[in-house]
Amino acid sequence: MTDQTDQSRRNFLYVAAGGMGAVAAGAAVVPFLGSMLPAADTLAASKTEYDVATVQAGQLVVIQWQGKPVFVVNRTPEYLAEVDGHDDMLKDPDSKHIEAVSAEWMDTPEKRKYRAIKPEYLIVVASCTHLGCIPLFKPTKGRKDWGDSVPENWPGGWHCPCHGSLYDISARVIKGSPAPDNLHLMPYKYLTDTKVLIG
Amino acid sequence: MMKSKLFGWIDERTGAEAIIKSQLTEYQVPKNLNYMWNFGSLALLVLTLQILTGIFLAMYYKPSAMMTYGSYTVAFDSVERIMRDVNFGWLIRYMHAVGASAFFVVVYMHIGRGLYYGSFKGPRELLWIIGVVILLIMQGAAFFGYLLPWGQMSFWGATVITNLFGAIPVLGDFVSQLLRGGFAVGDPTLNRFFSLHYLFPLLLAAIVGGHIHALHVVHSNNPTGLDVHEGKSTIPFHPYYTVKDAFGVGVFLTIYTYIVFFNPQMNGFFIEVDNYVPANNLQTPPHIAPVWYLTPWYTILRSFESKLLGVLMMGASLAILFVLPFLDRSKVRSARYRPVYRQMVFLFFVTVIVLGYCGHSAPTPTLKLIGQLATTYYFAFFLLLPLVNKFEKTKPLPEEI
Repeated sequence: MTDQTDQSRRNFLYVAAGGMGAVAAGAAVVPFLGSMLPAADTLAASKTEYDVATVQAGQLVVIQWQGKPVFVVNRTPEYLAEVDGHDDMLKDPDSKHIEAVSAEWMDTPEKRKYRAIKPEYLIVVASCTHLGCIPLFKPTKGRKDWGDSVPENWPGGWHCPCHGSLYDISARVIKGSPAPDNLHLMPYKYLTDTKVLIG
Repeated sequence: MMKSKLFGWIDERTGAEAIIKSQLTEYQVPKNLNYMWNFGSLALLVLTLQILTGIFLAMYYKPSAMMTYGSYTVAFDSVERIMRDVNFGWLIRYMHAVGASAFFVVVYMHIGRGLYYGSFKGPRELLWIIGVVILLIMQGAAFFGYLLPWGQMSFWGATVITNLFGAIPVLGDFVSQLLRGGFAVGDPTLNRFFSLHYLFPLLLAAIVGGHIHALHVVHSNNPTGLDVHEGKSTIPFHPYYTVKDAFGVGVFLTIYTYIVFFNPQMNGFFIEVDNYVPANNLQTPPHIAPVWYLTPWYTILRSFESKLLGVLMMGASLAILFVLPFLDRSKVRSARYRPVYRQMVFLFFVTVIVLGYCGHSAPTPTLKLIGQLATTYYFAFFLLLPLVNKFEKTKPLPEEI
């Protein structure tokens, strides 16, 4: 008996069957991988209300929003004065590199500089953009209060203890830091004069 | 061999006798193996200890970040309960925690042996590659396990490492959410890390089986690096090396139990002091360092200004181990007969220790520079290998062992 196998037809069936199998296997991955993503209750955008009037002048408070730490700083006029004069030291002085460091209300150079709706109250995500540690607040200028943990021309701001990233008093990252970006902003608005809704 | 009736019955259905002969009583091993060849069997012993103690710990451990009172959580409390209230809980937990470090001590010695005596070279390339996979899974298992006590170091270590994956372009956020199950390390992270911490050792057990199988196909290397598979250069594994391994086990257990009973935290090297402080997601400890066995890679990460580059180089420092068998072109295996390679490999061992020291310490400009130099040599060691055999004058090899 002669070999009547139609090899090309058989190859087609192999590839078709194998291809369908691969698609099915790929589809089966979706629910498993999907189950590992944040669950619905985690995703439900939790909002946090906070009264910034409770923060004393010059004080820093760490609050929680969606499980993330958030800085609320009451900047005194001295601190606000530290915002100027070191733009050449910053990686992104105008907060334009990525979306997360900018906000819609940043419509004036003033607001871009202070990174806050009301300049005295800075509200930013407290996770260092390098690897997520919480930076230490070192608001005064120079090395007087901080020793050599900060550079000599320290403008005042934050110092991350983990890998040495530095941020200025508007939480803008300073050149030479391992952190790539300024501290992230999160959506927030003023409900009253001092009540803030974060989220 | 006199077969009992029962063994005969089993043998007919499994071929057990042939397996015992080919893998133990007639499996040929070079007769000149030194004590550096004990670490493979020790690694198997520690893996067994880790799986056993881990199963018993899981009977009491609770993976939940739910708050109890004060700043304590269910997970943190359950670990303290194991330490204080559970019968022998302290012993089993310390065996597990010390065992994790012991596992890395033993495996690093095992890898160092392979590097020095050229055990990674043909025909053992795949054996080596399977070994690198084992190392990666071990590091993963250790990392997942370190989160479970939900202390400060657990929490912030996991935060830093999951953020590493955020550096990957485009997919970064997706991957770190996949790892954490949320926007920050939290309760879902703890649950999945517990699940994976239980899974990885089972993977290890299976892959170790593959490692041993691959070894028994290509047979053991030996200190001279010569090919010896039979005749008067070899002796059967059982009883000769079972006895020698058993002696090694005795020495190992003496040291291991001493540490378990008298210094289980090893001055903060095996269990970091900060991890007895409950996790606080609003406060980072002043100095974060991974446990000692991960510090060399942590230094490589820290040595680069750019986050992405640091992450890539850390990945590369492990990935380069996979291609080591193909980088080294010398026909001579053992460093005993390779004067240049011998110096290089010794310097490499020193470099890894220096990297480990830098990663353990708080960062200063001097240590950063030392870390960068060490990182440079770490990679130079591998990248110089293809060139070394072009000028290296190897010493004459002995005729037989």
